[in-house]
Amino acid sequence: MVTSEPRPPDPAPEDGAQGQVVELPAASRVADVAIDELEMIYAFIYSRVGNRADAEDLTQQVAMKAIPRLRQGAPPSAVRGYLFATARSVLGGFWSTRLGLSESELHDDLAMAPPPGPPQGGYSEESVERVRLILEQLSDNYRRVLELRFLHGYSLKEVAAEMRSTVGAVKVMQLRALRAAAKVRLDG
Amino acid sequence: MGERPENRVDRIVNALLRGRRLKLRGGDAEEKEAVIMAARLAAARQGPQRMSPAFRHRLVKQLEVAIPPESWMTRRAALVAGLGVVAGAVGGGLLARSLDGGGNQTPTTAGQVVQPTNGRWVDVGALVDFAPGQARMVKAGAVGAFVTRNGDSVSAVSSICSDLPCELWWNSAQHTLVCPCHNRTFTAQGASIGTYRLPSLDVVQVRVRGDRVEVLGV
Repeated sequence: MVTSEPRPPDPAPEDGAQGQVVELPAASRVADVAIDELEMIYAFIYSRVGNRADAEDLTQQVAMKAIPRLRQGAPPSAVRGYLFATARSVLGGFWSTRLGLSESELHDDLAMAPPPGPPQGGYSEESVERVRLILEQLSDNYRRVLELRFLHGYSLKEVAAEMRSTVGAVKVMQLRALRAAAKVRLDG
Repeated sequence: MGERPENRVDRIVNALLRGRRLKLRGGDAEEKEAVIMAARLAAARQGPQRMSPAFRHRLVKQLEVAIPPESWMTRRAALVAGLGVVAGAVGGGLLARSLDGGGNQTPTTAGQVVQPTNGRWVDVGALVDFAPGQARMVKAGAVGAFVTRNGDSVSAVSSICSDLPCELWWNSAQHTLVCPCHNRTFTAQGASIGTYRLPSLDVVQVRVRGDRVEVLGV
């Protein structure tokens, strides 16, 4: 089963006896940080499930699982790490129950793609970029059918007209292109 | 029953492109890789997403119930304050505020010391096996660490990035610990390198006993 529970982060020691530690200025810091970090979690989950309803459900699950377990004094970086670990667990459970996927099969999908440490950029911008890189690895026909269908929102009929093919052939090509895209492995 | 794979996947693709929830049937698992890829492509079409104000508000309400009441007033104030601002703001600015502690955070030079519950010293190898100046990854039960030898002494830091739950690797050419998840780097002593300073890596307790190196693990 994929949904192993991550361990909540420990609070930072109060006195900072061993070197300097991250100091949290207020008691409400954890919740304050967490609600903002949940935006990133939502973007991450949305980039994997592709629809708002499931993304909201799963983000809510992450929030309900993780936030009550966060202790006051947890460093902001630990809050993010714990929320992401919980998100991966929840997302793993989602795919596991719907498609019977094992953790190893989901490894790439759950892999932590580079979210921004610095404030610029959104988590899912990186995810969009990865999709672009995946499409670049495909043959011209496969890339074209996926671009037209997904990125431009064409219907099968419109794709068929654009590619001078039939709806049936485009449907098969769409399936094969998705399979091929799923096999693409991006380094780094 | 008997639905052709291309029809099955196209049904799912159509639902995704209409922004609908993923409703999968039993046989859909046969095309699981294609389904997952379709979801990612559909997400890419929409571009980066943020919570809707309505969902965010609902989430805050649910957290009101979930978070213990004793500290609720301050938490609620923080949540509600964030609600109005974040809905219309550039998320990055808020994240910056969150992560740098609103300007009150002290720059870190050393992480917390890992204090395993019921910890025990675990032998991780002979001192001579640790090349001077090179961090080597070891496992002391559930505690992963990079141990660095400096002459006859050793130091160790956690093998997990302080920003994301990802395992670091040692770049021996650059003498840095690198997080594969976002390419942030740390010194062998755990200090963050680069313009955006992350918290330092946690310190793992390590000692030399005779000619052996021991790490406090579990």
